[in-house]
Amino acid sequence: MDLLEPEILLQLLINGLLAGALYALLAGGLNLIFGVMRVINIAHAEFMLIGAFGAYVLFNVFGLHPLLSLLIIVPAIFVVGYYFQRVLIERVVGRPMLTSLLATYGVSIILINVGLLIFSADFKSVPVLQGSFLVGELAISKPRTVAGLVSLILSVGVYLFLERTRLGKAVRAVSEHAQVAQICGIDVRQIRMLTFGMAAAMAGAAGVMLSIIYSFWPGSGVDFIQKCFAIIIIGGMGNFVGALYGGILLGVVESFVGGFISTQWAEAMAYLLLVAVLLIRPTGLKGVARA
Amino acid sequence: MKRRISLFAFLSVVIAFLVSPTIGYAKDTVVGTSVALTGKYARTGQEQLQGFQMWIEEVNARGGLLGQKVALVHYDDESKPETGAKLYEKLITDDKVDLLIGPYSSDVTMAASTVAEKHNFPMVSSGASSSEIWERGYKNTFGLYTLADLYMDQIIELAKSKGLKKIALIYENTAFPRGVAVGVKSKAKQLGMQIVFEEEYGKASTDFSSMIIKIKAKKADMVIGGSYLPDSTAFMRQAKENRLYAKIFAFAVGPGLPDFGANLGLDAEGVMGNTQWEPTLKLPGAKEFSDKYKAKYGHEPGYHAGGGYGAGYVLEAAVKKAGSTDRDKVRAALFALDTVNAFGRFKVDATGKQIGKPAYAVQWLGGERHIVLPVEAATAKVAYPFKDWGKR
Repeated sequence: MDLLEPEILLQLLINGLLAGALYALLAGGLNLIFGVMRVINIAHAEFMLIGAFGAYVLFNVFGLHPLLSLLIIVPAIFVVGYYFQRVLIERVVGRPMLTSLLATYGVSIILINVGLLIFSADFKSVPVLQGSFLVGELAISKPRTVAGLVSLILSVGVYLFLERTRLGKAVRAVSEHAQVAQICGIDVRQIRMLTFGMAAAMAGAAGVMLSIIYSFWPGSGVDFIQKCFAIIIIGGMGNFVGALYGGILLGVVESFVGGFISTQWAEAMAYLLLVAVLLIRPTGLKGVARA
Repeated sequence: MKRRISLFAFLSVVIAFLVSPTIGYAKDTVVGTSVALTGKYARTGQEQLQGFQMWIEEVNARGGLLGQKVALVHYDDESKPETGAKLYEKLITDDKVDLLIGPYSSDVTMAASTVAEKHNFPMVSSGASSSEIWERGYKNTFGLYTLADLYMDQIIELAKSKGLKKIALIYENTAFPRGVAVGVKSKAKQLGMQIVFEEEYGKASTDFSSMIIKIKAKKADMVIGGSYLPDSTAFMRQAKENRLYAKIFAFAVGPGLPDFGANLGLDAEGVMGNTQWEPTLKLPGAKEFSDKYKAKYGHEPGYHAGGGYGAGYVLEAAVKKAGSTDRDKVRAALFALDTVNAFGRFKVDATGKQIGKPAYAVQWLGGERHIVLPVEAATAKVAYPFKDWGKR
């Protein structure tokens, strides 16, 4: 069988890792929010699309390369997310899960429709970095390589921030136990705003990367958010590192299943993995049981 | 408390304003339709609606249908068959429209036509071409489009004449793309060509790289896609990234739209596709429509807009022939009609299937979309073979 040739296997692996890195960046933010606030942000993928459309506008109006526009978009979305948390999300933290689900679902619908009003339903893309690097028989897509690497760097950066800095430690403390963290003198509200801003910025960065890989329109978020839900459950709800593992795992599995079975099966993998994880290890790969 | 009540009242007014449909006066002739304004078919659905709205303006400027003004009720079916079915139910029973225009896509039309059939309500269906729709013995679905089965015939004949043998066939798992695939397979069989790779993909697919790697391994001469706009664009982009080469790349729908060239830029060069209609065709009123559309919407109309416009003219011709909007009379008129408008000839067989209109093949050449086949209608010569990625 010609599919078992090493080049093809390697090609599938590389494609899977690159796609997985992007999933990881997006799902990492979602899981961070859940970990710190116990809020499932359904509008997370719309923050991603704000990033994508931001890159599109900056490219078309100012001719700015998406890699440069990252420097503008990421801080901008951080600020938006920071205050967005304060104005809206803070009101639903600690309420029953359904309240926050409905609130973020509403935000998602509003954002999609505002997007449709501004950008219409046309598919957009940012045509830079097209083509591929040729390494022997391998063709490695340029935009995907860049997107994969940027995603990886950002995810690792956030990981190091959480692990190494005092502020990151505070974020983890709030995620562990908000009340105890508060007693220890951590400004929990501030941490929640910071976390949301950071997660939104990660989604925005994923969006900028998305803009150079796929065509997108204001309704593109749905496919991604569904996969992200699966990823955070696979990786462990609320666990940042779990989301990274889950994202990369899903990317690789999708690529191989697409290669050996079919693209249709590849699309089902997120949910099949989800069911498998729930059966074997209900807390997810990196999750711990919580009371 | 008082503030709350006034806020509530204000919101109610706003909501009532937002949800009330655009129904005109009671004595208007009301035409109902659903089109995709969001979702995967949004781009094409929007075009179809705009084309249709231009007909409404024109017919009203001419004094309306049988002396009555024509009003439109339209909804967004979100590219979903199940939503489309509900909306047609609503149009017929709730809004009590006088005439029906079909939605965009074979997928949604399959569902909507079942509702129309249930109410025995004739529906002029632009935007659907899967032959499956007309194989169910329905008596109320009247197609404008050339059938999906015939889409790729001319391109496959071209491939045969160039000595190509191995076809890779990919298509979305919905009605129209499957229809295209059925046509491709039977044509390939007839010409003694081989389908070396065949795979379906889901409606939400954005990543075709695994598929492309497999097609590469099969060394296909030509790649044919039963596709829509987003998937055909994504496929070509990823074909370049993965260095997939074939002598012919041909896709349904996508290359027939200006967005294909806009999104792919130079990578669109040489890609073939098909079209139901082009502004350059020598048809009565085609150029006038095209100019007017361009002035109004800022871009040239594609065939989806042309189809919406044509559907209006077919409806107009049928109502005039019937002399009323009575469902039975209109149905009989549609069956008997043989007319040519800006979109082309309209003539259906006993199932309501379009048999009067030919298929056209297009190719992107020098950043523009040209009809290349059949030769009588061509605006440019076919460029063959597809230029390899490294040599562009």
